[in-house]
Amino acid sequence: MNVIETKGLTKYYGEIKGIKDLTLSVEKGEIFGFLGPNGAGKTTTIRTLLGYLNKTGGDAYILGQSIDENIVDIKKEVGYIPGEFNVYGHLTGRQFLDFFSSLRHREMTLLDDLLEIFDLPLDRRIKGYSKGMKQMLGIIQAFMDDPDIVIMDEPTSGLDPLLQQKFYTFLNKQKKKGKTMFFSSHILSEVDKICDRLAIIKEGELVALENIDTLKSKSGKKIRVKIKEKPEKFKGPKDIKIVQGYIEFRITNDIDKWIKELSKYTITDIEIKDFSLEDIFIHYYEVDT
Amino acid sequence: MNSILSFKIAIQTFKDNLKTTIIIMGLFGIMAAVYSGMFPSFKDMLDQMAASGGLDPFSSFFGMAALEMNTYVGFLYLEMYQIFIIIILAIVIGFIAASIVSKEIELKTIDLIMSNPISRKQIVFEKFIGLLPMVLIINFVTMIAIMITTSAIGESLDFNNLFLTHLVLIPYLMAILSIGILISVIYDEKMKCSIIMIGFVVAMYIYQTIGQMISSFEFVKYFSLTYYTNLYNVLKLGKVNIEGVIVLCAVTIVTLIIAMIYFEHKDIKI
Repeated sequence: MNVIETKGLTKYYGEIKGIKDLTLSVEKGEIFGFLGPNGAGKTTTIRTLLGYLNKTGGDAYILGQSIDENIVDIKKEVGYIPGEFNVYGHLTGRQFLDFFSSLRHREMTLLDDLLEIFDLPLDRRIKGYSKGMKQMLGIIQAFMDDPDIVIMDEPTSGLDPLLQQKFYTFLNKQKKKGKTMFFSSHILSEVDKICDRLAIIKEGELVALENIDTLKSKSGKKIRVKIKEKPEKFKGPKDIKIVQGYIEFRITNDIDKWIKELSKYTITDIEIKDFSLEDIFIHYYEVDT
Repeated sequence: MNSILSFKIAIQTFKDNLKTTIIIMGLFGIMAAVYSGMFPSFKDMLDQMAASGGLDPFSSFFGMAALEMNTYVGFLYLEMYQIFIIIILAIVIGFIAASIVSKEIELKTIDLIMSNPISRKQIVFEKFIGLLPMVLIINFVTMIAIMITTSAIGESLDFNNLFLTHLVLIPYLMAILSIGILISVIYDEKMKCSIIMIGFVVAMYIYQTIGQMISSFEFVKYFSLTYYTNLYNVLKLGKVNIEGVIVLCAVTIVTLIIAMIYFEHKDIKI
């Protein structure tokens, strides 16, 4: 069952393209990675999806409801951690959480669990909080009433590695409960670690949408080889690169052919490895650049 | 409870502005006491000016009330209401209202507020409601300060008329609030909004003055909200300009609706 669905979602800021013709779907109970460097359109997608920005084309549905007609109802079941946000500095952490609890009109079933994970000085004024502490508060407010979907825009920014790890564990626990998470990030390792499926966005347009493992297997293997002869002599596939005397190229299903081809040379070093998410990401971003 | 009726944002807005409310309330209370208490010191001088026609030149600028500046009601109206309530208090209230949404956008606190199941219209409406207590508290504390000082200096003033005056001030200050909120949803920089609001209040005063002074430009006074208060008649005679009150209420409602609709369609960028 798709809990988030966009069909040709488009947002232009006047003449400037934010996102164009974005079609994707997020299934219930998955952690969906949304990957792209800064400025690729991740935040524009999320803000359009949640009604902060008015779309200029296409449609979007969350839990089967159109974002045009039911955005307020949708938000009853959706938590959101914005990429850049601020919290009222004059309030204490507790006052902030009380205020936000009152706005959600539901029981805060996860609040105690979250406060155990993210140990915050709740009686201190927020203006005395570090960036990481404010981020924790953002995470707590998004999850505290245990919504069906949580949309996160680079949620681990400002968290130390230990807290990041605790957060990933918490996300996996939520996933097991059938909750859905839309996880936008530009940090490949965390997407690789926690996400089930992945969309890659480039210049406002979707360039890949796949299960991470499928994407990796489809991407084939990366061969890095050093030969005694001049590397230029080796006639490899089109995307061949010579880096620091090593020949590098990607192979998909023709591994036998290239190994036989390489056997004609004197190999001094060889490394064959699966494509990492980083390699895939760089591959998409190197095309046309 | 239904979120529309809970007014959580309004309550929070009131709490956020409580310190400011207390400070302004104190300042205006003291100012009201000082100005009304000053009257006995000026009375003889003003009587002499009135007798010699020295107040006449002021009438074209401040209206007919200037001719009665030697009376307590005339003095109170010109010194307290005309300057400090109609202009200065409107600027202060407008300044705060004009930053009420824009500062949330500028400081990026709006992002988390909007992540909750609350419509944008409701946010604007609750911001307005949240600022109302500030207006009422300052308005009536000023009135009480005038009452106490009037009794202390032994001057006579019809307290029913005084109360009516402060009732009429409510729709005027509400109209100022809603115009401030409209400016606040249009622009994202709070300082820009507040400066535009100050400009608006000053321009309004200038319009009314020009309308009073130059007969060929009399029509411009209709563009000024101050024209519709007609406080001197209320304070002196207890005569309320009902049409004026209706205009002020209509301005409040229409401006607030425009602000709600505008904010509903506004892109909240980072």
